[in-house]
Amino acid sequence: MTRALRLYSHVASVEARKAMSYRADFWVNVILSFFAQLGVMWYLWQAIFATTGQATIGGWDLPAMLRYYILVILAGKLVRGQEMMAGLSQDIYDGGLSRYLLYPASYWAFKYAQHLGSLLPSLVQFLLFFLCLPLLPGGVGDFHPGAAALLMGALAMALGNLLYWLLQLPLQAVAFWADNVWSLGVLLRFISGLLGGAMLPLDLFPDSARRVLEWLPFAYLFDLPVRALMGQLDPAAWLKGMAICAGWCLALYVVSGKLWRSGERGYTGVGI
Amino acid sequence: MMRYLVLYLHFLRFSFSRAMEFRLDFFFRVVMDAAFYAVQIAFFGVIYRHTALLGGWTYDEVLIFVCGFFLIDALHMTVFANNLWWLPILVNKGDLDYYLVRPVHPLFFLSLRDFAANSFLNLLLAGGLLAWALLRHPLPLEAGGVLLYILLLVNGAFLYYLMHLAFLIPVFWLHSARGLGDAFYTLEKYAEKPHRIFHGWLRGLLVTALPFSLIASLPASLLLEGLQWKVLLHVLGVTALFFLAVLALWRRALGSYSSASS
Repeated sequence: MTRALRLYSHVASVEARKAMSYRADFWVNVILSFFAQLGVMWYLWQAIFATTGQATIGGWDLPAMLRYYILVILAGKLVRGQEMMAGLSQDIYDGGLSRYLLYPASYWAFKYAQHLGSLLPSLVQFLLFFLCLPLLPGGVGDFHPGAAALLMGALAMALGNLLYWLLQLPLQAVAFWADNVWSLGVLLRFISGLLGGAMLPLDLFPDSARRVLEWLPFAYLFDLPVRALMGQLDPAAWLKGMAICAGWCLALYVVSGKLWRSGERGYTGVGI
Repeated sequence: MMRYLVLYLHFLRFSFSRAMEFRLDFFFRVVMDAAFYAVQIAFFGVIYRHTALLGGWTYDEVLIFVCGFFLIDALHMTVFANNLWWLPILVNKGDLDYYLVRPVHPLFFLSLRDFAANSFLNLLLAGGLLAWALLRHPLPLEAGGVLLYILLLVNGAFLYYLMHLAFLIPVFWLHSARGLGDAFYTLEKYAEKPHRIFHGWLRGLLVTALPFSLIASLPASLLLEGLQWKVLLHVLGVTALFFLAVLALWRRALGSYSSASS
């Protein structure tokens, strides 16, 4: 057990160093991408609030809405990670999976350790901007999460990260039967972005849609962690969300396992 | 010119025969793009539950703009995207040499060689959505205005390609295009929103140095608010200037190309 943990933490550390090796990329991604993403939503919601003349929309005032987007951009990067899952389908496609089958370690655990290691740039970005958040003007920085909110948010992000990884797993396993599954990963990104709350707070959806979304996995990727960080969830609501999220993780793990075993039976290891 | 046309027809033939080999991927691509269209329409659908206007446009008007952007995106995905995806890899592996020694302009070869036949169906889907958005508009639209809009969307697709290329060319110096490549896809979100929601220096930037608003938003305003020659000339002028700037940047980048892999 300790040996396995040491191996996976070493894998994660190698991946983390690799992720930080292109410094120009890192800073472009950290600074430019963050402000560019935030800028679109900042101007969009300023325009909507100015047009409607209302103080709140769907229960959100403008500063809270902007704070939501700041947190969803930061938390979203940690939940999605570097989306390295293409590596799995590529391993299947080019026969690279064969060497992992010989390793005395679980392939999924190995890949998840790599995935966690690649989160380091996103983690640095999260901490950097999260600590600067209270300095923002216009009420946006009016944000003082307690220890409970921070803990609930951090745990929800961790489980959300696992859920996103597991959501990709069955899609990647399709590579046993199809040559290129890149489109499926992008499809997941689009759908989870809208239905998970990365594009809009889920409160803005019609009630009927929200009732359905509560039972789908997507809301637990972005909406749950961000609302937990913002202190909008009481422990009971958070626990319910975490339980549904864990249930989805378990179901996806089982389905992926079945798909994977079925795919491995037909895997030739020849590659392209 | 004829030589380039014949060469492009060869590219098309190879691309279609290759796409037919990967039929499941063909299907996945169609589903992926259809999901992108559905997500964008749903996004604006939710927004318009809470406001009657966005950037001065009603929901019917914004649909014409959004579906126009779909057409541009589909054109880009079909004609240019695969090729641009390969560019940083070719530069880093030193495989660009193969393209530089061909008796055609390297940018022509590098930008158009791989026609994404599997995205072609989405081009038809995007065209259908645009027709739907134009037909459901409550006020009649002039045929001349619609024709000009479609021509400006083609211009928008070209400008989109130029901007994408401009964000990838720094790979010659940085050796990794990931940061700037990702930044392009983030900044591209500005093209997906009506230009009037932006104001001040940002709007100025989006119609000049980073002309994302010229891709689909200004063409839509020319259709919906009537032809303004000044705006039309501005759109065409900035595209021409951007083309010259990207060509100059490309030449400079080639001067730095060492052919060694990294």
